[in-house]
Amino acid sequence: MFRQLKARFGVPVAMAIVGILGVWLIAMVTLPQLQMIDYSFRPSLLPAEIGGPKDGWTLANYVTLFNNDIHLSIFFKTLWSSVFVTLLTLLVSYPLAYYLAKIATPGQAALCLLLLIVPFWINEILRTFSWFILLAFRGPLNEILLSLGLIERPIRFLNGDTGVLVGMVYAYLLFMVFPLYNAIESLDGNQIRAARDLGAGSLRTHWRIVIPHAKPGIATGCIMTFMLAAGSYAVPALLGSPGSRWFTQIIYNWFFEGGDWNQGAAYAFLLLILCIGFMALVMRLFKVGLADIAK
Amino acid sequence: MDGSVILDNVVMRFDDFTAIEPTSLEIRSGEFFSFLGPSGCGKTTLLNIISGFLSPTDGDVRIGNASMRGVPVNHRPTAMIFQNLALFPLMSVYQNIEFGLEVRGVDRATRRRKADELLELVALGGSGGKPVSALSGGQKQRVAIARALAVEPRVLLLDEPLSALDLKLRQHMRNELKAIQRKTGITFIYITHDQGEALAMSDRVAVMSAGRIQQVADPETLYHRPQTGFVATFVGENNRLAGRVIECRDGRATLDIPGLGRLSGRSGSELSPGRPAALFVRPESLSLSDAVGSAAASMLEAHIETVSFEGAWRMLEARLIATRETVRILVGQGAGDVLQPGQTARFGYDPDNAIVLADDGAPTHDAEMGETPRASSQPAQENRHVPSA
Repeated sequence: MFRQLKARFGVPVAMAIVGILGVWLIAMVTLPQLQMIDYSFRPSLLPAEIGGPKDGWTLANYVTLFNNDIHLSIFFKTLWSSVFVTLLTLLVSYPLAYYLAKIATPGQAALCLLLLIVPFWINEILRTFSWFILLAFRGPLNEILLSLGLIERPIRFLNGDTGVLVGMVYAYLLFMVFPLYNAIESLDGNQIRAARDLGAGSLRTHWRIVIPHAKPGIATGCIMTFMLAAGSYAVPALLGSPGSRWFTQIIYNWFFEGGDWNQGAAYAFLLLILCIGFMALVMRLFKVGLADIAK
Repeated sequence: MDGSVILDNVVMRFDDFTAIEPTSLEIRSGEFFSFLGPSGCGKTTLLNIISGFLSPTDGDVRIGNASMRGVPVNHRPTAMIFQNLALFPLMSVYQNIEFGLEVRGVDRATRRRKADELLELVALGGSGGKPVSALSGGQKQRVAIARALAVEPRVLLLDEPLSALDLKLRQHMRNELKAIQRKTGITFIYITHDQGEALAMSDRVAVMSAGRIQQVADPETLYHRPQTGFVATFVGENNRLAGRVIECRDGRATLDIPGLGRLSGRSGSELSPGRPAALFVRPESLSLSDAVGSAAASMLEAHIETVSFEGAWRMLEARLIATRETVRILVGQGAGDVLQPGQTARFGYDPDNAIVLADDGAPTHDAEMGETPRASSQPAQENRHVPSA
């Protein structure tokens, strides 16, 4: 990389670019992470005790999770719910992305994309709050369902996981739609036409032609959505109930309510390992490499 | 198996643009039929209507005498070979060929046997396991043919599939396509803008221009008896001299052409004295005056501008002294040797080898290409049709 930069900009500029990049990566990304890893392996001590005889590396913070049934169940619930959010988002995004990429005229596609993007100019907290209003017990959605006669009494959407799922699918939709759209858009329309011409119905055409082609896009979208969902804090905090707590909320509590950064760091790393594990699994499942996803 | 295709008053309009004027046509079962025309003439639209990718605004398509109205693409007895072939890149050669059979629920063993037979037919035996990306252009072509034939279509539709190949391979594939068509007896409908391809392979050709079929005939008839100015100029090369009809008798028409006087040829369409018409003489029908030598020959005096060597032939471009129009003359090597640019020479033609067609204001191919008649050279045609007669 340095050689290419040198050839292009000369030595001083190339050194400056590499230097800034290095400082940023090391001082602002790598070192704080290492610091947190270090925290996670040390006991939580009073300032006076740090460096004293009680200080030393231990796995105790990691073991805590496995000794706490409630935390452990929330940990796995976060995993399954995030997988579910990811699948739901994929289900909603695929038809939308296909429509945008292959059916809509350029004008329609541009309008649709604009309509999708505009709400994202608003802060995530505010968007989530608006879902809070929509899904409220006496909110507009219940009113509409009641007036249509579809339900007899209002539903408590915000009581279980429904609100969290809806809020997350909405919040991370674009992270799924765009990779899918990019992948499907690059498919030659004649491939679809050829499959139809050879007798395939539309389900089979999608299954055999469009989805295999869009696989890297699907993998990218799934990984991004899963990471965001698993690491989400605002949506479960606002739209969830005490019964639908997310693992991030427990991490938050360790840090800012328990004041036990060491314990919080250990929990955070367990979540990170979970996410990396999921990413590796998806990549293996879809038989895609990092290079495919970066495309 | 009836593979006839009938277009019954088919019309295609997009908003206010009419892509296909009312068109009726019968393509016989087992025929190699081509639609020939410049880009934008509507030939691909017509192919899409037959395959079912487009529904005509009006009219009906009948395949094997069954109406295709409301029959979706995947239920039509047709198969298409796309211009870019559209092979499935993520599948092997076998999987590509077997796709249509798999859709139809054919079991694995039968599929494989069928695919092997088809690979033999297209001379690709043993390549079934290869990925599509490992094939050369010509091999991909063959796989596309095999994939389309696998579904046992009654009609095979080909959308300029040879245009991406180099000249030698294209000529080879022409013969092969023709041979496959004979062997299978399937109706082939071929779309092309390359007259060489259309004339060499087809039993019959429909020449199209501006959404309208100009003439449907076998290649020989198209070349020797064009019915419209468009066909005369699009199929092969032609020199066009416009004038007015003076008399019309015994299949012979005489025109008064400004600056050139009275010239005659076979009358090729409905002509009446006083109406505008044009005389078409092919470059190979014009020859140096001493070579004609008969009283029947008509003479033109022209100034030679360029002489291009084309192997057995030389193509002259000469400007008529009387009208400043450019004509093209194909001469054999002996005669060509003595001619140099800058010379003035007299050319003649036998009126039996020239044709007079009514000039009804319909565009000729050259006018459509945005050129003034004969004022500049024709688009490059590497496959000029030179009849041996």
